[in-house]
Amino acid sequence: MKYDNVINLINDMASNFMVLDGQKVDVPAAGKLLNQLEEVIKEADAQEIKPLKRVATGINSLLEKIVLNAVEQKEGGRAFGEGLIRMQEISSSVKNKGSYDEDIEEYMQSLAELTGSTLEEEEKPGAENDACKVENESPPETGGREEKFEVQDESLLKDFITEALEYIDEIEVNILNLEQDPENTEYVNAIFRPFHSIKGVAGFLDLKEIRDLAHILEDLLDRVRSNELPVNPTLIDIILDGADVLKEMITSLKEILDGERDVPAVRDISKLRHRIDTVDQRIDSEDKAKKLGTILVEDGVITEEALEDSLKIAEGPPRQKVGEALIKGGKATPKQVTGALRKQAAQATNADTIRVDVSKLDDLIDMIGELVITQAMVRQNPVVQGSSDEKLGRHVSQLASITSELQRTSTSLRMVPIKQTFQRMSRLVRDLTRSSRKIATVEVVGEDTEVDRNMIEEIYNPLVHMVRNSVDHGIGTPEERVKSGKPEAGLIQLKAYHKGGNIVIEITDDGMGLNKKKILKRAVEKGLMKESDILSDNELYKLLFLPGFSTAERVTEISGRGVGMDVVKQAVEKLRGKIEVSSTEGKGSTFATFFPLTMAIIDGMIVRVGKEKYIIPATAIRQLLRPLRESYSNVVGKGEMLNVMNKLLPLVRLHEVFDVKPDSENPWDALVVVVEAENRSKCLLVDEVIGKEEVVIKGLGAGLRNIEGVSGGAIAGDGNIALILDPGSLFALSET
Amino acid sequence: MDKNIKILIVDDFGTMRKVIRNLLKQGGYTNIVEAEDGVVAFKELKSQKIDFVISDWNMPNMTGYELLKAVRADGDLPRVPFLMVTAEALQDNVVQAVKAGVDDYIVKPFTAEVLAGKIKRIIEKYDAQ
Repeated sequence: MKYDNVINLINDMASNFMVLDGQKVDVPAAGKLLNQLEEVIKEADAQEIKPLKRVATGINSLLEKIVLNAVEQKEGGRAFGEGLIRMQEISSSVKNKGSYDEDIEEYMQSLAELTGSTLEEEEKPGAENDACKVENESPPETGGREEKFEVQDESLLKDFITEALEYIDEIEVNILNLEQDPENTEYVNAIFRPFHSIKGVAGFLDLKEIRDLAHILEDLLDRVRSNELPVNPTLIDIILDGADVLKEMITSLKEILDGERDVPAVRDISKLRHRIDTVDQRIDSEDKAKKLGTILVEDGVITEEALEDSLKIAEGPPRQKVGEALIKGGKATPKQVTGALRKQAAQATNADTIRVDVSKLDDLIDMIGELVITQAMVRQNPVVQGSSDEKLGRHVSQLASITSELQRTSTSLRMVPIKQTFQRMSRLVRDLTRSSRKIATVEVVGEDTEVDRNMIEEIYNPLVHMVRNSVDHGIGTPEERVKSGKPEAGLIQLKAYHKGGNIVIEITDDGMGLNKKKILKRAVEKGLMKESDILSDNELYKLLFLPGFSTAERVTEISGRGVGMDVVKQAVEKLRGKIEVSSTEGKGSTFATFFPLTMAIIDGMIVRVGKEKYIIPATAIRQLLRPLRESYSNVVGKGEMLNVMNKLLPLVRLHEVFDVKPDSENPWDALVVVVEAENRSKCLLVDEVIGKEEVVIKGLGAGLRNIEGVSGGAIAGDGNIALILDPGSLFALSET
Repeated sequence: MDKNIKILIVDDFGTMRKVIRNLLKQGGYTNIVEAEDGVVAFKELKSQKIDFVISDWNMPNMTGYELLKAVRADGDLPRVPFLMVTAEALQDNVVQAVKAGVDDYIVKPFTAEVLAGKIKRIIEKYDAQ
């Protein structure tokens, strides 16, 4: 009796069916029917009753169309009723005879015509106002404009403007988030939703232009949501530009309301529309893997001319592959070609990654940090150290090498290319130049340089200020530039590379360079120096980073935000980074920032003063030495100095700074570490240098966060805690 | 018909809620409660007697569709009339909502007349049952 439930279901549907007889569709009843049909289809499929499945599927889509008012109701209802009767016939025939032999083709045909063709006669006169717009995008005109205008009072418009502008801000933030994390659908939704809402309300307020644009953008996002389009820079640019235009439209509406403008600005969105329409092709071409020839040219194996020649030969006759042509023509060795092929394959399989929650990654890296420490503690345990067991010794050293390898690998997990940050910068330059009537192109070098993901967020803000600075004070206006024989458009170069344990980010402009005289004048005005003082370029540029020091002659929209270079410097140093400035008058300036690759680990020198151990960041160390007695001097007014390679450097007694009892008070009995920070060097007096070690940085907790001279703590191999010295603030401390 | 029924408007866009409120006022309905998403709406439904729900589909935290399903699945709540507001009559969305037990849907933008007509029809059907 396995067909009984199907038969019951169909009978039940037949008794419910009258709901379709009325003038309008009974939506809840239709919903019940749809659910029942779904069940019938499932059953028919499971029991392999093909004709039943076909009819049920057919009237299911018919009912969907009826619900959407896409099929004329009377006719649709009749066809639906017939379908139900057919289903009853089929199910009882299958139950009694085991099969159903009647022909259903004609009925299926009539169903197809009904559901397929009625779409065309959509906008019938007298059709209900909210009639289906399955494909049609224009709003229903019936019901009249006047009525829509009843809704539109001024306070509503004002509310809309305020809320919509807030939404656009939100959109912008989320676009930038999406750029950083293109796979995150939350961000796509968070961009889609406000566009959607703006469109909805704009429809009520009869703001056609705004509604249309919001609609286009919403559609675009919808395609991203359904994975039809990938998230990439082209797409991000389009959305950003779209959001900009939308913002302009709404702002101009506001200006009209405020009486600042009486005619709406005419905006041509056809270009944007075209870009959106062609977005598929653009994205396609962009995502394609690099060609073999291009890789070889980029790697400097062959010249472009050689490639062109070989491409011609490859086209034949006889037709051959480019690689083949290159090898035969003696332009490249087989090894070079296979190397390039391998590179190409690696690019193609770039997608071979998995996504992991960052917090999990952070936990993993933290745990490995702990492992490293514990491992070191085991290794340095007196019992282990004193043991003569050869096997134990071997295992312990093996453990050490595995842990350090593990640590290296784990930190590399969190490394991401700086590319997205650079893209955000480029965008920023575009926006800034627009508002300041300057022209600039951005050149990006080394965007694949990797840096810890946690660092990327931190370094963004200081970089933003420096880029602002370059646009505002660096490149100059088109007129100024032409006057000094430069092209109208300024060039801002963003460059990233690794150097030591640092990532270096250079921001270079081709403007007028820093005006030394102006800086000098300003410094004298501010009482920072006397006119007679002689400063090196380095010392001079350093003045720029002093609080309240600005050479901008006028406050512009950009620079008037109260953020000076001093804030930038502080931000950079907080990240254990530094800034270097170089400039040629008339040629331009370069601001180079050095950041550690990761915030989690520091390469440090462990030193001992009395019973205490300190860690000095290796990047800051210039020299280690045991001073001679003769090199020591106590200069009046300047304090204790050491002569290090014919330069007098101040001596900082760490034991005095931190109030501990040292082994030896005399520099010539102890050791000296020459440390550099903020472009100056000082000698730190220590008792012993224990060794170099990579240590995992531990915060000191809220209570001890702002201790001068110290940037954090670390657990040394012997299990004791050592403080990590912060040379910059240590210098300041030693001068008080 | 009782114009004093308590209507809950659910939409994340404040201006949109105001638009619907104004349209309802034109139709004579003034007893109105608002909620900014499905989560808040569900709380309102649980804490007071609501006679009619007008909900947007697309909202953060809890969409209109999710709200509809939650309301219909909750054994303690009486079957409350539920009108879904959609942007276009996207076939998938509408069919989904219909199957989940929505009483009707309305496509943005709509007039006060159409809205009042929908409400009236739904209420009459409830009264007849």
